Amino acid sequence: MNINGVQIDDTFAEAFNMRGTRVIITAQNLKWAYNAANAMTGFATSVIGCGVEAGIERELTADETPDGRPGVSVLMFAMGSKVLMQQLETRMGQCILTCPTAAAFSGIASEDQISLGKHLRYFGDGNQVSKLIPDANGVNQRYWRIPVMDGEFLTQETTGMVRAIGGGNFLVLGTSQPQVLTACEAAIEAMKKIPNVIMPFPGGVVRSGSKVGSKYPKMFASTNDAFCPTLKGVVKTELDMNIESVMEIVIDGLTFEDIALSMKVGIEAACSLGADAGIKRISAGNYGGKLGQHHFKLHQILQGNLAGATTA
Amino acid sequence: MSTLIFTLKSSVTQPIGCRALTPNNLSGKTLPEIKALRLDAQHSVADVFDVTGEATDHVVFKQARPLLHHIGYQMKTGQITIDGDAGNFTGAAMQGGVLICKGNVGERAGDAMRRGILLIEGDTGEYCASSMKAGTLGVLGKTGARLGYGMKRGTLLLVHAPIPQAIWLDCGWHTLPFLNILYKSFKALDSKFAKLTQMRVQRWVGDISGLGKAEILVLSQD
Repeated sequence: MNINGVQIDDTFAEAFNMRGTRVIITAQNLKWAYNAANAMTGFATSVIGCGVEAGIERELTADETPDGRPGVSVLMFAMGSKVLMQQLETRMGQCILTCPTAAAFSGIASEDQISLGKHLRYFGDGNQVSKLIPDANGVNQRYWRIPVMDGEFLTQETTGMVRAIGGGNFLVLGTSQPQVLTACEAAIEAMKKIPNVIMPFPGGVVRSGSKVGSKYPKMFASTNDAFCPTLKGVVKTELDMNIESVMEIVIDGLTFEDIALSMKVGIEAACSLGADAGIKRISAGNYGGKLGQHHFKLHQILQGNLAGATTA
Repeated sequence: MSTLIFTLKSSVTQPIGCRALTPNNLSGKTLPEIKALRLDAQHSVADVFDVTGEATDHVVFKQARPLLHHIGYQMKTGQITIDGDAGNFTGAAMQGGVLICKGNVGERAGDAMRRGILLIEGDTGEYCASSMKAGTLGVLGKTGARLGYGMKRGTLLLVHAPIPQAIWLDCGWHTLPFLNILYKSFKALDSKFAKLTQMRVQRWVGDISGLGKAEILVLSQD
C-alpha cells in the first residue's frame, strides 16, 4: 500500500486492555482549566513509569459543562482499576483541589463508579457540604463543596470507569528528524479532533519506542534497536539506509473504533506531506501479536475498515 | 407528562392530612383504589378530592388551600406540584424527589427533611426548615419567624433576607459555582425557580445551638 508516495507497511499495532475514565475540569476561564488539567495529566505518558496515561481530550464550552463554566475533558487510562482509582485520587488532590477556581465533574457514565471527590471531601475538616442534585435525566448526582481559601472547591463524588484500550500506535519513518517531526505534528493536529482518544506522550509524539527485554537483567524494556537509525549497520534493522529518523504516535482510547479512526486520520495527515517532504514509510509497533489483545492492521484501517480484528 | 391530579373540593372546610398522597405511596394503585384510600377516620380521598389522571411519578394538587397539611410527608421519589396554598408540614420528612408549591405554605415546611428539593414560590409560616437534616429548600417569598430552628444540615435558598436570629452566623458574600448546577436542575421544572440565575449569595451558617452544619443562602438583589 502506498499513500502519496509513502509506503504503508503490511503490519499492525498491538494494543492492550485498559481501564479508562473521563473527568471534566472547569474553571473561571480556559486558562485556569488548562492549568489544572495540564497539572493533572502531567507525568502521565506511560503506565510503565507513571502509573497512568492521561491527556486532554478536548476543550469544552460553557454550555457543555455541568457548572456552566469553560473547561476541558481529560481522559485517563491504567492497566487496572486499582491503579486508576489511586492515581485519579492523587492527581485530583494535588492538581485540581490545589488549582484556583478549578472544579471537577464526572465525564463518563458507567455502572462502575470510582472516587472523584468522595474521599477528597475530608480535606474540608468537617465543613464540607454535600449536595444531591438531579441531572438532566432526573438522576441524582452527589457533589461536594469543600471550603478552600479561594472560595469553594466543587467536585462530583464519583466518575465512571470503563473498559478501554491502550497502546494503539503507528511509526513515521523519514529521511530527516525535522521532516518526521513536522509530519507527526500534522498527524497530532488531525488526531486531536477525534473524540474519545488521547496521545499521552509529550506533544503526542514519542521518540523512544521500546522492545521487550534488555541485555541488563533488571531492565524489562529497552530501546527499540531495530528502529534506531544510528544502529542500522549494527543490529538486525527494520530500516533502509535512507531512513534517518523514526517517531511514534501512541493512542489510548475508549473503543477499538475510536483508536482506529484516530490512527487513520493521523496516518493520512502525515502522508499528506508526501514522500517529497521526506516521509518514506508508515509502520507500527507490535510484539509479534502474542501480548496484546487488540491488533490494529494498518492496511485494513486505511481502507476504512475501522471495526478491525480484535484478538482474544 | 401524565399526572395524577387531586382537585380539592370547595365543600371541604376541615383540616386534611395528605401524607398518604405521595408518588411512592400511590405507585401501582388504580384510580378506584386511590379514591378509596383513607386520609383520616372521617375522610377518604374521594370525599376530599376529585381525582383524575393516572398514577405516575407526578402528583398535582389543584385548588389547594391551607387546610391541606403534610403534603409530601416522607416523599421519596417523583414530583408533587401544589397549585395554590398548602398548610403545615409541607414536605416534612421528605426523603427525595421534588416538591413545588406555587403558593404559600403554613408552618414547619420541610420539617426534619432529609433529602430532596422543596421549592416554595410564595411565603412560608414560622419554623420553616425546622430540624431539617439535609436537602435543599428554596423560598421565593418571605419566611416567617424562627427560620431553620434546629436545622442540622442542608441548604435554605432565599430571595428575601430572613428575620435575623442569633443562632445563624454571617459568613459573608460569595459567588458559588455549585448554584449553577442547582439552577440547571430547576430549568426542567414548571416553576418560577427555573428563572433563577443569581450565583452571588450571602451565606449564613447555623443553627449553632445544635449541629450547626446547615446554611442559608440569600440571593443578592444586584
